[in-house]
Amino acid sequence: MAIIDARTLPDASPIEADLLIIGGGMAGIALAKELAGGALKVAILESGGLEIDEANQALYVGSGVQRAPGNPDRPFDEYLVQSRIRALGGSGMVWGGKCAPLDPADFAERPWIAHSGWPITREAMQPYYDRACDLLEIPRFPLEHPPSTDPARQHLALEPADGFFPAPREFSRFSGGTDKAAFDAFRTGFAEAPNITVYLHANVVKIRRQGDEIVGLDVACLDGKRHPAKAARYVLAVGGVENVRLLLASDNLGNGRDLVGRFFQGHVTYSNDGDAETEGSAVAIFRAAPMDLYAPAKRGAHCVIGAGLPAQKRMKTGNFTATLFRAQGFKPDTQAIARMGAKLETPEGNGEGQMLGYFAMAEHFPNPDSRVTLDPEHKDALGMPRARLTWTYGTKDYADLERSVTGLADALGASGEGRLCWSIERGQLLALSSASRHHMGTTRMHVDPAKGVVDADLRLHEAKNLYVAGSSVFPTSGIANPTLTILALVMRLADHLKAETAR
Amino acid sequence: MTRRRDLLAALVALAATPALARAAAPGVFSDLDRNAVTRLGSAWRAAHPDATAQSLEARLFPAGRGQAALPRLRDQAAADFRHGAVFIHRGWRLSDTEGALMALLSLEG
Repeated sequence: MAIIDARTLPDASPIEADLLIIGGGMAGIALAKELAGGALKVAILESGGLEIDEANQALYVGSGVQRAPGNPDRPFDEYLVQSRIRALGGSGMVWGGKCAPLDPADFAERPWIAHSGWPITREAMQPYYDRACDLLEIPRFPLEHPPSTDPARQHLALEPADGFFPAPREFSRFSGGTDKAAFDAFRTGFAEAPNITVYLHANVVKIRRQGDEIVGLDVACLDGKRHPAKAARYVLAVGGVENVRLLLASDNLGNGRDLVGRFFQGHVTYSNDGDAETEGSAVAIFRAAPMDLYAPAKRGAHCVIGAGLPAQKRMKTGNFTATLFRAQGFKPDTQAIARMGAKLETPEGNGEGQMLGYFAMAEHFPNPDSRVTLDPEHKDALGMPRARLTWTYGTKDYADLERSVTGLADALGASGEGRLCWSIERGQLLALSSASRHHMGTTRMHVDPAKGVVDADLRLHEAKNLYVAGSSVFPTSGIANPTLTILALVMRLADHLKAETAR
Repeated sequence: MTRRRDLLAALVALAATPALARAAAPGVFSDLDRNAVTRLGSAWRAAHPDATAQSLEARLFPAGRGQAALPRLRDQAAADFRHGAVFIHRGWRLSDTEGALMALLSLEG
């Protein structure tokens, strides 16, 4: 119906809808798209405007630290403000567009990993993943991928019993950083539907509850205006940190079991360049066939080497991936040696060497001490306490990472496909890690209110008409970029809301 | 970077291999960078000070250095990875067989 700047409304203008979506990021937009043209009157309340704005972005400022056993604490104050984008389209404005589903293992309860297990299976998610792929106009991810017939895109011949597999990644063009025009259409076109209204510069600063029901929202603009908002149902979708900040700032909403903000999980990559004593993270591949499947020449569809459930069960580890890439910087004599190796490997004696770089990723295990809290001493321009992130690893995280690396090295060696170099000392891991901007687990999903903030339908255990969307509901984080799973869960939520409101 | 070359030389030596399988053992290794072989072999021997050329020859080539030797070495290397018999050098995870082979080649000069 319209996109409205909430600052242009008279002060205290009531905003009313059947469903209010707090947050106009990828989750909020996808949900509105699913409901566009339907019977429900839907409004999105987005904090930002159409473009990235410094004053809005400053609302994200917080503090943070990363902690891991045996590693010095790493200050992380800049991370929160640099992680997300506060504008219509959210972090879709800048994301890389990389898409992958979580693996079946990510959904499974794994007895060797505390707090693992989703109340949904990967199989049950398949139709929602399909719809999310369709929305992003990328190929679907079937549960079983037939091998490519392209000789340049052949799987590494690792022993199946080792449990490593090629995990596919695709790229969507719907990113502000990739195809701005397409993304602009993606993030605004749905508002033309007669049942949709988007309010910009509309910051929700408090969710009001009476008993087990949400009865309204307090909306604030940076120019000082305030508006009340009311609906029959609400969806909170402002990100893995901000979901927590708003709940806690709303009289501790949803936190009766002290779970909101706990179990923060993030994704990081590990790689190094080596030094005088060690080589950097590298893989030598012996086969002559191209490695385009794993390390394409240009950004695009590829596979990472993933540790599937059989590998995890065998090694008693979590998810792990190695992402291979074409590396530069091997000196000429090294390249000559690699080429010499390839000559020995090929019947004709004329092959080229294949030295690749890689970065490793390991699942960040759910940890109640890894958490987002409020910093009551510091408030933003709207008077809300700022967020404080304490990103914490346990002993198992790094031990499992190392065991996974060793497991992959042994699988490559035993198969004759290659050899792997890993030279990062455990005490260096935190400092050498590079953090992605994925915030997961802080309003985790569990059927038991004592173990989760939302139920399997994403409904807050404490409020019958408030749902949470986004990666904060992930019980475990896997390794895949979370956006596709966020959207798949949104598809599922949309179906639930349609069915519920039809009753 | 010459150290990386050491490892690559080792990787080359035992990776699998139609070509290796057809070659006789001494000839196929003659292309390896001598300095790399020496450094790798010395590193392995530092952990196995009692190893001699004779004992390594008996371990690696019990039936001589004919065409059957290389597939056998490769099988040994694969088995090493299965059983945790590995040789870590500057971060590279190699089979113990690879290390022993480099040691033998370094002793042979």
